[in-house]
Amino acid sequence: MNVYQIVEAVLFASDAPLTAHEIARADEGLDEDQVESALVFLRAEYDDSSRSFELVQVAEGYQILTRPEFASYLERFDNVPRPARLSGPALETLAIIAYRQPIGRLEIEYIRGVGASGVIRTLQDRHLIDVVARSEGLGRPLLYGTTRQFLEHFGFRSLEDLPRPEELPIVLRERTPLGPEDDLAEEDDAVGGEVAEKSTGQLKVATETLEQSSQEAEEPHR
Amino acid sequence: MESVPEREDFMVVEIERFQGPLDLLLHLIRKQDVDIFDIPISTITDQFLKAIKGLAANDIDGAGEFLEMAAGLIRIKAQMLLPRPVGDEEEDPRAELVRRLLEYELIREVSGRLRVAQSQRARRFRKAYIPPRIKRDISEMTLETTWDEVYAAALHIRMPLPRRVDHQVSTRTVSMEEKATLILEALKENASVQFSKLLSGFKERSHGVMTFLAGLELTRRRVLFLRQSSPFQELWIYRRDEEEVDDELVGKLDPEKGVEG
Repeated sequence: MNVYQIVEAVLFASDAPLTAHEIARADEGLDEDQVESALVFLRAEYDDSSRSFELVQVAEGYQILTRPEFASYLERFDNVPRPARLSGPALETLAIIAYRQPIGRLEIEYIRGVGASGVIRTLQDRHLIDVVARSEGLGRPLLYGTTRQFLEHFGFRSLEDLPRPEELPIVLRERTPLGPEDDLAEEDDAVGGEVAEKSTGQLKVATETLEQSSQEAEEPHR
Repeated sequence: MESVPEREDFMVVEIERFQGPLDLLLHLIRKQDVDIFDIPISTITDQFLKAIKGLAANDIDGAGEFLEMAAGLIRIKAQMLLPRPVGDEEEDPRAELVRRLLEYELIREVSGRLRVAQSQRARRFRKAYIPPRIKRDISEMTLETTWDEVYAAALHIRMPLPRRVDHQVSTRTVSMEEKATLILEALKENASVQFSKLLSGFKERSHGVMTFLAGLELTRRRVLFLRQSSPFQELWIYRRDEEEVDDELVGKLDPEKGVEG
């Protein structure tokens, strides 16, 4: 038996993406490098023999998925659960969490300007986000982050696949906002987290004072 | 600074279309080509207030957020009127609002990208995506029957005499409600159904017409949608997912607003 056959068998039998590490568990004689090269081989194999499916890198792993051009045939079958489309508020909330995780509800509400607990609950029920930590702040509020299912839902390989702010057609880069935010630029890292830090860049410039202002903004409610 | 011509068509905004006060404010600013770093706060505040007029009466929960923003705008407007000493290091009263607007605009753009990614991903299917047909449980069927029992049962059956009977069949009116129920029943089990399947068992043309009309009516009410790959091909009726609507509702009727978790 070839390594690629074993890898293929494992991928075929799985209904969720698997990492090279997970696939390597199939046999003691397998290591991740062997799996990786088998994956490269399989991908080329499927492409060259024009199969209706391909080996796709998604959610930090690999998965065999049908090619998009066959969607119209597959959608016709009875009982096919149509993948749930998220609403506008849900997408906006997810976008905020994806870029600024770990993030608390109050901060999310401040950025969107509207209440968010209903949407957060829905996203949590669908396992697109989860509680990842508790803030050190007053009342130790819950902090949310995105899950592997989030990456799966949008077909992202990792959070690196999120559109980067510098790719977006927003005026933010052309001029710096008013006010002395430059000296605040280094203070936000505590909440920013590693991933958000990498991907937000420009976004953060616009939100330096967010933390203190979101508390101010909530004051009237209490 | 406050030189934006007041054009009335910007006032005609459907509040429901907006995801919140920031969305509305951004709309007012972007539609009028106003420099976001130099917002004519007085004009924009007036426009904002006009746009949310009448909102408070029917939706208290949603209105609160708009009113809060309106109050903030008025406060900024007042601060702008106060003289600021020359060389004062204090921030422009609008700075925080500008930061929020720009960040929100960025988030809106990103969520648009997410929407595209979502529908691209939805066109790929993983193995076993099509679930097996539901089969009747074998335990529901009695199998322990002997031929003697069958014979005994057969003796009890009285066969009807072959006899010619003339029926007077009156035409029954076919109602659209009946057909709408038929469609909805069919869509309870499956995500989609062929139009022709709904007609099986009915011989008269009026059934076909009424089923079709019911389909159109339900499409108009956004309960389902129709699809046909090309003219004269099979018409498919699809159930429309109601999750979108649900989310919006949940977002609006939020009982926990303002309570710290």
